[in-house]
Amino acid sequence: MDMQKVAQQNVDMDMTPMIDCVFLLMIFFVLVIDLSQKNLEDLILPRAQFQEPDDKPPENRPILNVLQNGTVVYEGKVYYDAIKHGTNYKPIKDLLLSIRTYGLATGRLHLKEEELPGGIKAKLIDDPILIRADKWTEWHYIGEIMKQCSQPEIAFWKVELAMSEKDKETGEKNPPKSVKQ
Amino acid sequence: MSAIDDAQEEVKPDMTPMIDVVFLMIIFFVCIEFKVLESKLPAYLPKDKGSQSTVVEPQEQLSVKVYVDKPGTPNYKHGGGPGLLNEGTKRPFRFVLEGHRVKWEVGPKPCFTIGEVKAELERIAKNPASMVPDKKTGQKKLMGCVVEAYPGTYYDDVSKTADVCHQAGFEEINFGGGLGAKK
Repeated sequence: MDMQKVAQQNVDMDMTPMIDCVFLLMIFFVLVIDLSQKNLEDLILPRAQFQEPDDKPPENRPILNVLQNGTVVYEGKVYYDAIKHGTNYKPIKDLLLSIRTYGLATGRLHLKEEELPGGIKAKLIDDPILIRADKWTEWHYIGEIMKQCSQPEIAFWKVELAMSEKDKETGEKNPPKSVKQ
Repeated sequence: MSAIDDAQEEVKPDMTPMIDVVFLMIIFFVCIEFKVLESKLPAYLPKDKGSQSTVVEPQEQLSVKVYVDKPGTPNYKHGGGPGLLNEGTKRPFRFVLEGHRVKWEVGPKPCFTIGEVKAELERIAKNPASMVPDKKTGQKKLMGCVVEAYPGTYYDDVSKTADVCHQAGFEEINFGGGLGAKK
């Protein structure tokens, strides 16, 4: 064995630990980015059989989190505090208005003109909005958000309700798709 | 060093890759368990109703009413109580509602289980009298239904009701949300 061959053998590196570290870092960042972008509160969602998977949610979709006591949280900030505001739902309206204004100004949301029966034209937001409420949230809080969404100055009509494929409280799971009727 | 010592050193396996793989698998399965897949139930609001300033023709709709039968008792399993904030999360303590029960009225028929609601909705959906003309196309379509949640009902009750409406074949589902909070 000449000296050149020995030198070549010495510079061989074991790549295994580096690849392991890269994989671990990838998993870590994928999960961290995934959770932080969605601005999701820790809620237990109701389970429903008829549901559309939310695997490719639009990036621009606003998500309103509704806690058990009716408090509305958007991007980690409390906008409507059920205890403090009670039946004064103006903060919800203001929040939806600001989401609309900001969304339209930045191009994240788009307006669509619709002709309603009677020939009247209405400008509606053509992007969805997701309401994510805990399963034990009183319905009237969600009903109030939906009512505000239907106001002409807000006009979010593509309201979606977040569901889960598994009830984290009871552990019940939906059957696989093939078993569904 | 003897020949026996050499042989013993050779059979010593390198555990590092195995431990790495085991760690990766643990992380993968833990993440899968915690990341419960979310889905959505479309609850599109009518464009020509609600607060739009248009005169709307009355439409034939099936009314599905949800009433509270037993209000239930909140159980704060992880401590805390009503109106208290969890100092760690800065959010109210979570409760589980135990013994909560609702009853329904599908059209005029009272129902006491979600199964009965589904069966009644399916019966109505199959009835030719439930077909109404579509304003846009003029063709016959299944009438819409409106889920009217009475005070004291929860998101879980209403979503399950909307879910069985979808399963029964109703596509146009509206929500009545103006019945207020529980007294």
